[in-house]
Amino acid sequence: MFSELGRLALEEAMKQGASYADIRIGEIENEILTVKNGAPEEVKFLQTKGFGVRAIVNGAWGFAASIDINEKEMGQVVEKAISIAKASSMLKKKNVQLSQEEIRQDKYETPIKKDPFEVSLEEKLNILFEAERLLAEQSPSIKASYSYYQGFREKKFFMNSEGAEISQVITWCGGGLMAIAVKSGEMQVRSYPASFRGDFSTAGYEFFESLALVENAKKVGQELIKLFDAEKCPSMTTDLILTGNQLALQIHESCGHPTELDRALGTEADYAGTSFLTPEKLGKFRYGSKHVNIVADATVPRGLGTFGYDDEGTPAKKVYLIKEGLFVGYQSSRETAAELNLGGSSSGMRADSPLSLPLIRMTNINLLPGDWKAEEIVEDTKDGVLMMTNRSWSIDDKRINFQFGTEIGWRIKNGSLENMIKNPTYIGVTPQFWGSCDALSKDDWKMWGIPNCGKGVPGQVMYVGHGCGTARFKNVRVGLI
Amino acid sequence: MVIERLTEIVEKAVSATTNLGANQAQASAFLLENALTRYANSQIHQNVVSKNGGIVIKAFLPDKRMGTLRANTLEESEIERLAEKAVKIAKSARPDEGFKGLPEPEPWAPVEGAFVKETASCTPEYRAARVKEAIETAHNKSSIVKAVAGYFSSNTMYFAVANSLGVFAHARLTTASMKTTVISESEGSEGFGTAEKYTRNIKEIDPILLAEDAADKSVRSVKPTKIQLGNYEVVLSPLAVGTILSYLGYIGFSAIPYQNGSSFVKYFLNKQVFDEKLTVKDDARDPRTFYMTPIDGEGVPKKLKFLIKNGIVSEESICYDSLRAGKENKKSTGHSVPPITRWFYDMPVPFNMIMEPGDSRIEEMIEETKHGIFVTYFHYVNPVEPTKAILTGLTRDGTFLIENGEITKPIVNMRFTDSMLSALKNIPLLGKNQEMVKGTTVTPIKLNKLRFVGISSY
Repeated sequence: MFSELGRLALEEAMKQGASYADIRIGEIENEILTVKNGAPEEVKFLQTKGFGVRAIVNGAWGFAASIDINEKEMGQVVEKAISIAKASSMLKKKNVQLSQEEIRQDKYETPIKKDPFEVSLEEKLNILFEAERLLAEQSPSIKASYSYYQGFREKKFFMNSEGAEISQVITWCGGGLMAIAVKSGEMQVRSYPASFRGDFSTAGYEFFESLALVENAKKVGQELIKLFDAEKCPSMTTDLILTGNQLALQIHESCGHPTELDRALGTEADYAGTSFLTPEKLGKFRYGSKHVNIVADATVPRGLGTFGYDDEGTPAKKVYLIKEGLFVGYQSSRETAAELNLGGSSSGMRADSPLSLPLIRMTNINLLPGDWKAEEIVEDTKDGVLMMTNRSWSIDDKRINFQFGTEIGWRIKNGSLENMIKNPTYIGVTPQFWGSCDALSKDDWKMWGIPNCGKGVPGQVMYVGHGCGTARFKNVRVGLI
Repeated sequence: MVIERLTEIVEKAVSATTNLGANQAQASAFLLENALTRYANSQIHQNVVSKNGGIVIKAFLPDKRMGTLRANTLEESEIERLAEKAVKIAKSARPDEGFKGLPEPEPWAPVEGAFVKETASCTPEYRAARVKEAIETAHNKSSIVKAVAGYFSSNTMYFAVANSLGVFAHARLTTASMKTTVISESEGSEGFGTAEKYTRNIKEIDPILLAEDAADKSVRSVKPTKIQLGNYEVVLSPLAVGTILSYLGYIGFSAIPYQNGSSFVKYFLNKQVFDEKLTVKDDARDPRTFYMTPIDGEGVPKKLKFLIKNGIVSEESICYDSLRAGKENKKSTGHSVPPITRWFYDMPVPFNMIMEPGDSRIEEMIEETKHGIFVTYFHYVNPVEPTKAILTGLTRDGTFLIENGEITKPIVNMRFTDSMLSALKNIPLLGKNQEMVKGTTVTPIKLNKLRFVGISSY
């Protein structure tokens, strides 16, 4: 059915003067469950459906979308997209060019063992209620205790005027725990396994089960209460060790976003900002130490940003962004790849719904593992701080200066974790920070899923992945508050 | 007519849900028509229009089990199926003893001026023509202007809500906004400047004024110098103040952080926490607010509420929807966000914050500053420690050093990390001209001290 509607829409677009057109038709199911303080805070099921048409007319883009998937509405939406493209062409400097990509007719489906949408709501809620109960009962100081589950499924159909026709079913799920405790006017937070509602993966319900929320709830609550007796993070410059659930966001903000080619080319200048990784630095700029290898990899199993094809129909790819510390690649679209003659898109274009315009979005931005064991990094550190689980984050519009806070930390003295510290924060400058990276683990390397990456105007929220383990950085300023 | 269609849908949805066994039900329906023309590198690069709409059904069973369903459809034939699903979700849930009931009906009246026909009928050609004016104006300002970026958007929102207790209300609203960011370059050094306008009437947007302002800041921003970190006096433009105030609304005045113990308000009740010159109210019926609406997402009439009164916060400052109000045996204050946002924002927040004006012009604030920083815009602000209202963020798009009452030079963007409780404790000068900045209406302000801890340079 979608194939026929799509064909009609593309034929109409080309008849009305488009030199290129594509259509995405999709439906999203999103199950969101939250238990808070013994009660169901959210038991929600959200459905999104619709279609969007992109067209190039007179060398400029137009996009229109609607929730009503039928032939009549499709005709009107095509007409709008064409008319908008013509308006865009009033203000163009050059014609849009697209990189050549392999044209495929294909299907892709996230491999899953246990369909999260076939598991009963009761079963999921039982886990959440039990985990939340165990978390809350650790102390009367815990004022808010949360357990989370989210299951997501996107069925999307893509067709373009070059002959591509792709159907995909992307499924992901996950969850987590979070608690807030207050004592004598002081507030502390602890999350598991990561902030932002937990951890997520393109996988079946088996992934949510593997998080073992019930088994971990007690420890999370106990650790939270211990923070009240912990020392404040000292203000100093020291060696900093980040575990994966903080390092993932560090990669996201200071490598993921600045290597987006739309930012580097200035098309996000009005909102998210530009990038210090400007095109003349490609292949020449030392971004980090020789230990730092970072890839954009849409093919890695179970990554939250894993798919078969991006929203331009480009097959999922793995490309190097940073190789042995050198800046060597961008995340790109067909248009931006053509502009820099990159030889092809990185398969980086995604939209957060069929009603949204695809943008360059992170897939899985992974810091490749080193040779260390995580515990060896600690043992090798004479004086430093280990920080775990993100609590606050901020980075500038060129992605140079960042400041992060984490939920918990430990002082390291002579190779061992000593006392717990609270309110840890650190500040840095991207190339100096990554230039100081001297140890990367492999034993605890895993994919982390971040479901809430914001970008674009109008704003879009995308689900992305980051592979990493534990890493050490030398001479970092910590203790900002 | 759209509103008639939406009201018919919500009535039918409430009826279908109660017929299926829910003892209370709420349904809302919305239609959004959003258009946005985005430009960068002095040309249009994204130009979009979308029609979005849907139904949200909340079903409550007699034992206080609740289920919520949102679907992107306005087909009446779908209502029965969606109601069944909402009730099925509720049956799988567990009781929420904190739920004390949906809002009872209260009289409400539409607001004049929320919907502007010219905005609703804006064409892509109109938006492109205004963008062209902005780009040409900026380039005419100086030969060092390298690129112009920004967006021009026009939006129409229709919303209706009903519940089984007799609430039945609706609203329609238009919004329009334009942002212009100008990038200049001289001898390899870039300078940025930004200007924005928010209004319900698209005809009030003057692209030339915005472009002149942004270009002026941009041209003056090239070749910035680095200054020492530390405490500085600051003069904040309305764009910077709006960002700070909206974060205070999110971390401080919402019932959720208040009940969780993370809101700073909880620890400073009835205390002089801010300068006595600072009074902030929330009033969705005031024409000075951007999102002007007579009702909230649950159909509760919007009323005037003081968040900060002469620098003092109190229990009256907290914003509730019916669910969170029920947990404290209170009534909703009308702060449920209508389900018109893309991500179904389920947190009561003030989004019509209006800062009472003072009597100073921004030029006077600069004249009264001995050694300080002028900030056009704060980027990527986030809370670091919400109980102390500690925020961090960076300056952007026009940051200048003020010496002896004059702007003397552009400076490299800097990071602040500071408690807003201490920063806003002393506000020597408050502006007299208010501007809409999304959900806030603010004036420029001068602060005696803001702590800068980092610099955007390598």
